[in-house]
Amino acid sequence: MDITPLTSKKSLISGAIVLVMLILLAFVPLYAPGYPVVLLSSILMYVILAVSWLVFSGPTGYISLAPAAFFGVGIYASAIIGKALPFPIVVGVGGLASFCLALLVGALTLRLRGIYFAIFTFGLVMLMAHSMLFYELHITGTRGRFVMVMSYNTVYYYMLGIFVLVLLTGYLVKRSRFGLALYGIGQEEDAAAHTGVNVTMVKIITFAISASFMGAAGTVMATKWTYIDPFIAFNPNYSFMPVVMAMFGGMGQLYGPVIGAAILTYLEEFLVTKFAEIYMLIFGAILVVAILYMPNGLVGLIQKLWKQISKRKHAVT
Amino acid sequence: MFVTILDVVIAGLLLGGIYALIAVGLSLQYGVARVLNISHGEFIMLGAFGTWMLYKMAGINPLITLAMCGPVIFLIGFFLHRTLFRSLLNSSASSDIFEGRSLLASFGLLFIIQNIAILVWGADIKGYSYLSYGVNLAGSLFEANRLVTLLFAVVISAAFYLFLACTRLGKAIRAAAQDPATAGLMGVNINKVLALCFGFGALMASFAGGLLSMCYPITATMGMEYTIIAIIVVVLGGLGSIVGSFIGGFLLGLIGSIVTYIEPGLALVAYYVIFTVLLLAKPKGILGK
Amino acid sequence: MKNKVLLGLLVLTVAVVFLCGAGITPSLAKDKIVVGMSRPLSGWLAVIGDSAFKPIYETWVPMVNAQGGIYVKEYKKKLPIELIIYDDKSDVGTMTRLTEKLIVEDKVDFLWPACGTSFVFAQAPIANKHGYILVTAEGGATQIKDMLPSLPYVFVSLSFSDWYELPVFAELLGEAGAKTAYIMYIGDLHGIEYSGVAGIEFPKHGIEIAGIKSVPPGTKDLSPIIKKAKASNADVFCAFGYPDMVLPATGTSMALGYNPKAWIGGPGANFGFYHTTFGPATEGVCGFTTFACNQSAAAKELCDKLYKGKPEEIRDFWGHPLYWAALEFWKAAIEKAGTLDQKVIRDIMATEKLNTMLGPTWFENGLMAKEAHTGEIGQWQKGVFEVVGPKKHATAKFVYPKPAWPKPKK
Repeated sequence: MDITPLTSKKSLISGAIVLVMLILLAFVPLYAPGYPVVLLSSILMYVILAVSWLVFSGPTGYISLAPAAFFGVGIYASAIIGKALPFPIVVGVGGLASFCLALLVGALTLRLRGIYFAIFTFGLVMLMAHSMLFYELHITGTRGRFVMVMSYNTVYYYMLGIFVLVLLTGYLVKRSRFGLALYGIGQEEDAAAHTGVNVTMVKIITFAISASFMGAAGTVMATKWTYIDPFIAFNPNYSFMPVVMAMFGGMGQLYGPVIGAAILTYLEEFLVTKFAEIYMLIFGAILVVAILYMPNGLVGLIQKLWKQISKRKHAVT
Repeated sequence: MFVTILDVVIAGLLLGGIYALIAVGLSLQYGVARVLNISHGEFIMLGAFGTWMLYKMAGINPLITLAMCGPVIFLIGFFLHRTLFRSLLNSSASSDIFEGRSLLASFGLLFIIQNIAILVWGADIKGYSYLSYGVNLAGSLFEANRLVTLLFAVVISAAFYLFLACTRLGKAIRAAAQDPATAGLMGVNINKVLALCFGFGALMASFAGGLLSMCYPITATMGMEYTIIAIIVVVLGGLGSIVGSFIGGFLLGLIGSIVTYIEPGLALVAYYVIFTVLLLAKPKGILGK
Repeated sequence: MKNKVLLGLLVLTVAVVFLCGAGITPSLAKDKIVVGMSRPLSGWLAVIGDSAFKPIYETWVPMVNAQGGIYVKEYKKKLPIELIIYDDKSDVGTMTRLTEKLIVEDKVDFLWPACGTSFVFAQAPIANKHGYILVTAEGGATQIKDMLPSLPYVFVSLSFSDWYELPVFAELLGEAGAKTAYIMYIGDLHGIEYSGVAGIEFPKHGIEIAGIKSVPPGTKDLSPIIKKAKASNADVFCAFGYPDMVLPATGTSMALGYNPKAWIGGPGANFGFYHTTFGPATEGVCGFTTFACNQSAAAKELCDKLYKGKPEEIRDFWGHPLYWAALEFWKAAIEKAGTLDQKVIRDIMATEKLNTMLGPTWFENGLMAKEAHTGEIGQWQKGVFEVVGPKKHATAKFVYPKPAWPKPKK
């Protein structure tokens, strides 16, 4: 993981490029309305999930399989209070609810070894689904809820907003002392504890922060599905995909998952309409290949290639 | 009243037999090979479909298909370890990193295997009827196939335990589980042992799947639920303890039966509550080291 | 340096993505009617989709196209139907995206329904928002009755619990002398609705609810609940769930020797595969239905078209006639409208009576009129799923009590 601080010139250029990209994205509904907006909303959803996932699981090495649980919490926030409050507040509530759930899960499991955490988060999705089902059946007496409908453009702008927030947060976390602590924990947890870092606190808070963005994204996306029930909201696919995308894109930099998510969401779109029967197979294979041969993801591959090319350039001189 | 209690207890044992079998399999894979195989349930599913296919197409007795599907799935597991997981092992800087990467790799395997199964057998529900008549046991009726399942689960587990305790290979496995490095120094072919263990884990899964297919309808997506249960049992019994997994399986089965009697919707929730309580109080499990 | 490259790659990726997404809309020269569908071709709903609406459209569309298509006066010719079908993998999120894709990107002329009650609920507002007519096939529930007034473009064809199955069933049971019932239902919208309605209709005919238990979807072992049902000695047993619950419930009832005087199963009992799985054991089992092949000339004709030469498994006596009639209704409405303008067609569909194989058919407030149904409750008798209620459409008399299950073979 690259933690050498960027020189000011480099960060200015990077910042400028990000700004240009964001401006381009902001005006998409004007020059490419209709389906591209829908598609980009989906891409942004996966980008947010993948980047949020990386913010925690990247530096600490704790593998979370819970994104779907937090995403689902956000969806339910939308369904339960979506009609009653102004939407920005609803999104905030979705994020807050996920934050709280993550605090709970983190407090329970992050004191222990990473494997317990992974196990717990893996089953969490199904647990949430079954709990919600029980609640709906026996306490509210219904099943499933309707979500208010919003226009495509509104959904898109909310997602764009959350995306900007995630990137900002990720960047700030990485560059702060907090991020240094996280990195230290990932490298050698006991040593980090000895330097006075409250290891557990740092882990839990980061985990909760990353979860809140997933929840917020869920709150917004729920408005596209209009009807949700426990098994629709808590779908293991939304844990699987961010992980694949982050690993494929590259876990070293924040934009690794962005690239991974963009490329793979488009691939998913393509597969879903043409080769729907092998879509899971391909994504599973991508994950395995990424783990085996692309330890630094696509970003890492490109960096390696770049190094090779520059080596050759220098070698010639 | 007494009949009801007996009813619940026996139902719990019936459930527990399967749980014990799948947990022992997973425990082997994690305890020795240090792979938390999230795709364990998919091997169960493969065993189930293999049995179903042989029964439907060739009319072979499901209990015999256990012996037919088992070796095939064993080999698949063995091969997977030799290639995929060994490669991960060699390229991982620490055992924690290896655990993480192999967990994710098995996550990928889950989706691959499930998709292949859907391609081959379709996504709908399959089932067949075998030994589905009722047997009267202490005043209550139970389906014969479930009693047979329990019997086989216990026999297979016991046989495997004896294998571990008494044979040379078994001792090698136990040594590798305790301390792979030292075991290697003592002449144990570690790579082969790890791969064998992974294969044995898959074998257990395939047996469990075959037995399950006798009792319940099966679908290509049935695996994940069992993986979660297996993981909970393994933690309950103690990560790394095979005997713990065996006992844990029956314990969880009993709990499941009791909860189902009161409120069927809460079984999975109850398992999770237990899991949570364990993690808080005694993460090492009942017999954990 | 490398950061610049990578960020450039990022921008490029985004640019490529939306450029491809924007695409070029093909201009539609009107020589066909394009109908789009998001269907569960894989996933847990595939089995229902494959047995229910799929055989209908796979038979009906080629049949209509063989005659040249649908005549649309505006183009002064018959336009054949072309289907675009996407697999939503039994996932609602995927289905809504695909539905939007069909409407906004592929710009199909018409939308045909996705499969399943929760899918209907999710798809309806989207279709309505875009002014696309949605005639639903599999799925439909009491709750949608309340929503339909705000969804003028949605037309629900399938019958359901209080429209008008359970009132008919309760009446049959009451007349036969049933006094108690035990209800097992699946923990989802479908199960809640059916058990709720039963809870209201049964007491109206003197039937007391002896017990009621919900079962989470995916539960495999039903024996604890069936044992409880047996212990309750209820006259009637209800299994309100999908095939993956109804069939195991049947098997478990047989294995445990549970012989109530009446046994009714939700979707599952009405399919041909129920009979092929259980054979003579189906004698006396009830389910929901709409027609029987020997009921009328039109019924016989439909059976020939759909089932002749095909395996028995695909028969569906509940949904098939309704979906077929719905398609015939849709076609008749287009022909009457003379245009492909969905608003005009919708107005016709909402207000007119048109002829289908069920006879005169119409929609009231978006629901297919129950008077157009030619059956509600069916019962397997000698291998035929007869219509036993309502009496005016019955092809056989309701048998009560149900004969005991035959002894399963060892």
